[in-house]
Amino acid sequence: MSESMTADAPSEGQEETSASDVVVETRNLSKVYRDFWGRQKVNALKALDLEVKQGEIFGLLGPNGSGKSTTIKLLLGLLFPTSGQALVFNKDASDVSKNERIGYLPEESYLYKFLNASETLDFYGRLFDMPADVRRDRVNELISMVGLEGARRRQLKEYSKGMTRRVGLAQALINDPELILLDEPTTGLDPIGTREMKDLIIKLREQGKTVLMCSHLLADVQDVCDRIAILHRGELKELGRVDSLLKVREVTQLQAQGLSKEAEEEIRAIVAKDGGELLSMENPTTTLEELFLNIVTDSEARPGRRAPSDD
Amino acid sequence: MTLENAIPNFADWIFDALRFLPIFIVVFAAAGFFIGFLVSAVRRGPVEGFYAVAQVIGSAVVDILNTSIRRTLAMAMLAVQESIRRKVLVAFAVFVVVLLFAGWYLDVKSDNPGRLYLSFVLTSSNYLVLILALFLSTFSLPTDIKNRTIYTIVTKPVRGTEIILGRIIGFMTVGTAILVAMCLISYMFVVRGLNHEHQVDGEIQLTSTELSPDGSLQGLTTYDAHHRHTITMFDDVSGETDVVMGHHHAVEKVGDELVVGPPQGALAARVVRRGSLRFKDRSGKPGAGVNVGHEWAYRSYIEGGTLAAAVWTFDGMTADRYPDGFNLELNLRVFRTHKGNIEKGILGSITIRNPNTGARIRSSEPISFAAKEFSIDRQFIPRELKAIDSDGTVSDVDLFEDLTDQGQLEVWIQCSERGQYYGMAEPDVYVLENNGNFAINFMKGFIGIWLQMLMVTTFGVGFSTFLSGPVGMLATLSTIVVGLFRQFIIDLVSGTLEGGGPIEALIRVLTQANLQVDLDIGRFPTLVVKFLDARFLDALNVITVSLPDYAGFSTTEFVATGFNIEPSLLAMQVIRAFTYFVFVTIIGYFFLKTREVAA
Ligand SMILES: Nc1ncnc2c1ncn2[C@@H]1O[C@H](COP(=O)(O)OP(=O)(O)OP(=O)(O)O)[C@@H](O)[C@H]1O
Ligand SMILES: [Mg+2]
Repeated sequence: MSESMTADAPSEGQEETSASDVVVETRNLSKVYRDFWGRQKVNALKALDLEVKQGEIFGLLGPNGSGKSTTIKLLLGLLFPTSGQALVFNKDASDVSKNERIGYLPEESYLYKFLNASETLDFYGRLFDMPADVRRDRVNELISMVGLEGARRRQLKEYSKGMTRRVGLAQALINDPELILLDEPTTGLDPIGTREMKDLIIKLREQGKTVLMCSHLLADVQDVCDRIAILHRGELKELGRVDSLLKVREVTQLQAQGLSKEAEEEIRAIVAKDGGELLSMENPTTTLEELFLNIVTDSEARPGRRAPSDD
Repeated sequence: MTLENAIPNFADWIFDALRFLPIFIVVFAAAGFFIGFLVSAVRRGPVEGFYAVAQVIGSAVVDILNTSIRRTLAMAMLAVQESIRRKVLVAFAVFVVVLLFAGWYLDVKSDNPGRLYLSFVLTSSNYLVLILALFLSTFSLPTDIKNRTIYTIVTKPVRGTEIILGRIIGFMTVGTAILVAMCLISYMFVVRGLNHEHQVDGEIQLTSTELSPDGSLQGLTTYDAHHRHTITMFDDVSGETDVVMGHHHAVEKVGDELVVGPPQGALAARVVRRGSLRFKDRSGKPGAGVNVGHEWAYRSYIEGGTLAAAVWTFDGMTADRYPDGFNLELNLRVFRTHKGNIEKGILGSITIRNPNTGARIRSSEPISFAAKEFSIDRQFIPRELKAIDSDGTVSDVDLFEDLTDQGQLEVWIQCSERGQYYGMAEPDVYVLENNGNFAINFMKGFIGIWLQMLMVTTFGVGFSTFLSGPVGMLATLSTIVVGLFRQFIIDLVSGTLEGGGPIEALIRVLTQANLQVDLDIGRFPTLVVKFLDARFLDALNVITVSLPDYAGFSTTEFVATGFNIEPSLLAMQVIRAFTYFVFVTIIGYFFLKTREVAA
């Protein structure tokens, strides 16, 4: 009896973790924007299949108008899919209750200009039904985190772009969310702000949170993301781990140290057999920028779906 | 007092309403489901469409159950802050400025300045508040969608119900604050505007008039505020003035001098018992009164010196209600075919009759009175009356024992002067129960305005869930206009008005055919036109009947004419307004729920 229970329990628990492991899932997700008369205007997203797992920092890349924001809006239920499904925490994106565990930083900070920073955060705290004392602590904590202590009583209409962005970020974190959706988080931030934003994203991962962000700033993405997807004209072009995507498999670079004489000789012999000289041995990495540009020019030349190489 | 539609009995009304409500809810839900299904079936096909509708309804239930007060109030507070930022207080400033100027423009020489002042403050508060509600409610949500601030709202665990209710509560909070301020200022404005003083002018002398031939002590007041009064002393120390411009003064001896008190009666809240009216024609047979030629005459007229009579039947006339007798108030119009003595009223008589035709005593002796035009005549009908027996002898009778049948009695009014006419409508004669508190009645008038504001706000927010700001505003404005001209539209639809439906009317205009001739476009086209017109009018009828009756909600007329707003009328209005509130909120919720806010 007790044996069967102990035998069952872990397998059940495992199944649960593997099911809840996937935080965001899109199945064949497509979006066609239509005008008032139902005529097709833009085919913004075409049959996107994605999975974002718990604890991951996932980057959506793509040129302007490639459907990144559309994907995020579909995941939030701000848009309804034309076909396919968007699931967040295994719930349909139109389910309001999922929002309890989500934070969202929109492309631009769409906030009420007539409120000041603490009123804004307090207001959003109320929307999470947070009691007054919890709200007060959380608001203070976030305001000092985004560095707006000095401006907390000023109306947002007086704020600079970067300051508004910071309030926007604080707003997205008010409920200590498990999943954070960031639409171009570093736009408008100064270099220090950008650095802080990246540090924050990494800190969020350390806390076990999942982050889905989209950005054009490839360096930022390269620094923080575990996995990326590259979209172009609504189609998924590339999907995989950042480190493996940036490996150039056709080239091998060797650079060795502490090899035994024999081993070294052996390698040297192999290289020398073809008339080469070994300097070092490794796969060089390209920059994300190069990868990105390659994919975009390539897909412009040969439109259509590319089988993404996920691993 | 032109109260054109009788107020239904509250018990009957609520009984009907409750019986109708379940049917209405079923029809409402079925229609909603059907329309939702049609829309979504067109988009996704019938099976998927059905599931989509079912899912929306399911999540609606979840949303309603999870609606949180804190979130709703947070949305309400935001709406208040937004209103303040949009400078709603300007509306209030406009009101104050209007009142300041009104002090100069209002005609203080009017026959009834009280009525004028009251209509003015109530009407201006009413319109200002409705315009304010219109602008606040219709632009808020569309602005949020346009500015995309809604993105940060709907990605929080906020329910559609909270977004809508929060806005309604917020705007109503602002509106209520402004309305309360308007109410207080209006009250002071009216009271101060009507206040004036008189002194006794000259001597009090013994005079005799037609109505008191034995003579009474009379005098005049000084001429102040565009009028003077005649004083009649009851005895050496107290007296009263006559009613001029809708008010009178008490006169009292203080020390050696007679002092005229402050104006009374201009601000009244009469609690009245109304009867039902029928007419007897000039030969005494049941019939209608005559029309003296005004096109839209609301009143009917009875001819003097004939058997023509206006008969009111009152219920609930019992001795415990009126232990000493009752006050009858008459608000008759006079139509003179010859001038007569312009200074004097037209003489008439009041007779109390037992409606039971088998009763031993059928009728009291006529009580004569002179109808003063443009002012209310009050006649006290005492408990002890003289009556004429069936055999013609005059005896003393008791009002309730001998002339009342199960609480019912008839009041017959006849005009005694040949060639002169009395005009009346049902609300013009009533039994005065007592005088209610004017301030409270004034407040009730403002509650009526508040309820109108609630409906405008609800409709405004409702429309704004799927229309852009300006379009939503026009839509809401249309509901107000339809509500105000409801009776006209219903008459149009029920065919009381000539000229046919809109297409027929258009053809008549184009072909310059007058209203009497048949359409000259062939038999079949005529049928088609009439059919389309009929369907159009049906649709119009449904829309009109289902929109709020703003005219009916306006109780300011009661306050201005000095009648108490019956609690039952107020209760009906509250129930109606909140019913609209509930149903429009539900409709708005579904529109918001099925809307792509980012599209
Ligand atoms: N509300 C809308 N109505 C019609 N078309 C839209 C709408 N929003 C986006 N689109 C179109 O959909 C496509 C994808 O837009 P989206 O905003 O998702 O791009 P993006 O990848 O976020 O671009 P960016 O990097 O510039 O933010 C574009 O062609 C855009 O014009
Ligand atoms: Mg974008």
